[in-house]
Amino acid sequence: MNRDVTRRDFLRTAGAAGAVACAAWALGGCSGGATGEALKFRARPHPNAEAWKGRIGLAQGGDDPGRNVRAAVEKLCGPDGAKTFIRAGDIVVVKPNIGWAQVPEMAATVDPAVVAAVVRMCLEAGAKTVKVFDNTIGSGSKCYEFSGIEKAARDAGASPEQCAPHRFKRVAFDDPQVKRLREWPLYEEALAADVFVNVAVAKTHNASLVSLCMKNLMGIQGGDRGKMHQEIHQNLADLNCVIRPTFNILDATRVMAREGPGGGRKEFVAAAKTIVCGTSAVTVDAWGADPAHLPWMPGHHTLAEVKHITLGAAAGLGVADPAKIEVVA
Amino acid sequence: MAKRSKPKHPLHVARIVVQLLFLGLFLGLLVLTARGAFAAVHPRLARLFLDTDPLVLTGMALAGVFTSGLLAALVIVVLSLILPRAYCGWICPLGTTMDIVDRLLFRKRDRSKNFTPRLRQIKYGLLAALLVLAVFRLGVFGWFDPICIMTRSVSAALYPMADQGAKAALVAAEEHGVGAAGRAYDWGVGSRVLVPETDLKKGGPGRGFGVGYEWAWVFTALFLAILGVQAYQRRFWCRNLCPLGALMGLLGSLSPLRPRVSAKCVSCDACRKGCKTGAFQHVEHRKRFTSLVQECIFCYACERDFCPEDAIRIGPGHANPIRPQPHVCPGRRALLGAAATGALLAPAFILDQRTRAKEETNPQFRPPGALRPDEDFMAACIRCGECMKVCPTNALHPTGIENGIGGLWTPSFVYNIGNCDYYCGVTKADVDAGLMDKPANLCGTVCPTGAIAKLSHEEKTKWKIGTAVFDHSRCLPWARGEECLTCEEQCPLPEKAISHQSQTVANLEWLKMPQDKRNRYDELAARQARGETLSAGEEKELAAMPPRTRTLALPYVLRDRCIGCGTCENVCPIDGPGGIRVERLQTREIK
Repeated sequence: MNRDVTRRDFLRTAGAAGAVACAAWALGGCSGGATGEALKFRARPHPNAEAWKGRIGLAQGGDDPGRNVRAAVEKLCGPDGAKTFIRAGDIVVVKPNIGWAQVPEMAATVDPAVVAAVVRMCLEAGAKTVKVFDNTIGSGSKCYEFSGIEKAARDAGASPEQCAPHRFKRVAFDDPQVKRLREWPLYEEALAADVFVNVAVAKTHNASLVSLCMKNLMGIQGGDRGKMHQEIHQNLADLNCVIRPTFNILDATRVMAREGPGGGRKEFVAAAKTIVCGTSAVTVDAWGADPAHLPWMPGHHTLAEVKHITLGAAAGLGVADPAKIEVVA
Repeated sequence: MAKRSKPKHPLHVARIVVQLLFLGLFLGLLVLTARGAFAAVHPRLARLFLDTDPLVLTGMALAGVFTSGLLAALVIVVLSLILPRAYCGWICPLGTTMDIVDRLLFRKRDRSKNFTPRLRQIKYGLLAALLVLAVFRLGVFGWFDPICIMTRSVSAALYPMADQGAKAALVAAEEHGVGAAGRAYDWGVGSRVLVPETDLKKGGPGRGFGVGYEWAWVFTALFLAILGVQAYQRRFWCRNLCPLGALMGLLGSLSPLRPRVSAKCVSCDACRKGCKTGAFQHVEHRKRFTSLVQECIFCYACERDFCPEDAIRIGPGHANPIRPQPHVCPGRRALLGAAATGALLAPAFILDQRTRAKEETNPQFRPPGALRPDEDFMAACIRCGECMKVCPTNALHPTGIENGIGGLWTPSFVYNIGNCDYYCGVTKADVDAGLMDKPANLCGTVCPTGAIAKLSHEEKTKWKIGTAVFDHSRCLPWARGEECLTCEEQCPLPEKAISHQSQTVANLEWLKMPQDKRNRYDELAARQARGETLSAGEEKELAAMPPRTRTLALPYVLRDRCIGCGTCENVCPIDGPGGIRVERLQTREIK
């Protein structure tokens, strides 16, 4: 049994393998550019999005944030709740803020009970799958663990996955209302969803003053997000012109009243036991950012200073004046 | 090789099984340690192979460093007294890798004429020089220790390469529509077999180069060289260079156990040709071959595989009394020369280190808990790479010769790649249970020599590695008048070490106006300031021009709070060196 490989055999095999590898490489290279059809955010708007632009659902009090979530949604949408925007078989993305490696008591991330309630509502309304993810700021594993959201979402029946870099795809920011950003890599799963539910936690922020629903959308951005900080208010308004969530939920069970968005001390956190929801992120944020409504540190900001809200309203995304918001409580 | 007429010795078969088990254990522990909380829960397992390394124990004893974990190496010391280099044949993962490569690539190669007994002496000289360097408090024997070599090569080069290769293949398949590849990727990341990209900072989504280390190409090249030089001689490294093998051989010199050649020997040369480590040799004026106890690795191939006359037995006995062994140990003169070389190199290394320590151009940032002053660290650090392997953010890297050649491959933070993780080694369960006093720096947890002390979360988050300093010629608000504060946002300290103040600064838009427009602006603004009423047209004109100044939030470092974790430097959105960088300047202020 002479199995000696001659040099010629070896070169022939190696050459063939190399050619296959090069072909695969070339194909891989092509698929990025040539076949890459323009990706767009395609989640459906809420059927009443236009009519409810200035309307929010509000639930406060009690010790069960999950019940507040259901109550707020039913206040806004009626007894059908999430069925008003989810159809049977939908692929739903729930995007909570999981950005920081902090335990829920620090209010840096959405309360896991809120995420669990949202996931259950979506599944009960007929969603086929509910995906939960966030492009975290801290180490992904730590954020998913410390926030308690990975476990809560999985227990509720969703599939929480960490973001993978190759699934961020360049999206043209070609909405006519966009002023500053031209394009940005966004997460494929968010772009492919039928329904996109934006779940934010109420926090202060050192650059954008507050971090609510509009700011929470940064969690589907890849790339160098530090570059969002140059003219952050306009950039956030631009992002919200391109990504218009089906539904927005603001978790103000706890409010990080100062030293946001990272926090890390319980003294920074104020209990508010509040859930706000709406079809417009701008409108929800306008209500939430108002110092009259949530326990922000006195003097931290005025609503007028939170320019991304007024810029968003100017782009037609919602209502910035709390007096004009219809609160269904 | 001759046809195998006899079945293998049972211990020969057992040896192969044990070798593969130990290699599997080494690689398994390495993958477990590289990711996840394993190292925090099982630190002794994570550093098992280094803790049981007699060369590390000896080197540390000479340097005056003691850690209780290293006492485990006494087990191997005892083993070596009885079975001198059985460790090399049965346990050493580098040796096993060599055997596998030899079997795959060089099985048919006749290397029997490459018999170089004199080269064997090199390892004793190397051992002598390295131990003298250890006395001078330089743990550089780790450059040559096989367990350190294996740890460094696999964790800093081969594992990251495999990780990236697997990911690249899965990603390519996924992008060509193979859904199973995407699911395999998610499973790999979920189970931590693949490194989760989101755990890395600048390696995170959108940038995604995965885990990687400086010097990886050198580790790869040296590793391949050690394996490839077997084309010349089997187990070339073990025969001629390995200082750990030399130490074990010396320890076992008086062992009665060894291959013994009986009077049946016909001097056919088969054992010399066949032995993996060249442990048989013909000696002048003797009728039979003799075995060299310091070279035998107890692989159990000789008894049945080579000797046609059945003249070799491994075991105790008196038939072949211990006698001076040829070309095993170098002469006294050579050994003293090697030791003297070590003694000369040591001050040279130390001088180099001290001179370079004065340069601030390329400072080193030791892991939290690293012994201070740095001379103590250099004595205890064996350059094994465990700390770099376990670092969850890929922030620790082997250094070059920035700190002198003696500091080569000691760990230092490279903040542009990763930051010192605030919650390193802590789990949510620990936070919930208030268990914040257990070791919270994984690098210290796995360090086999205590060069990096174990710190609790509280100690670690107060340990000053360096101090962040703004580079006003690069920082966006300071240098270009643009908004930013990304560094402040991400400073992980509850009492942030970066704060900002809104200040009046020049408006660059105003500066872009031509001189006549600027003059017009100044004129209108001055009149307005004097209380004059401008006409409607003039007011409109003034409002259309950008104001002379604007307010901008300028960031400042609060030096006494900063611990130099490097998060700010890592997240600075400027390409190239950050607008804020950790510097060593302030570390001299602290004890």
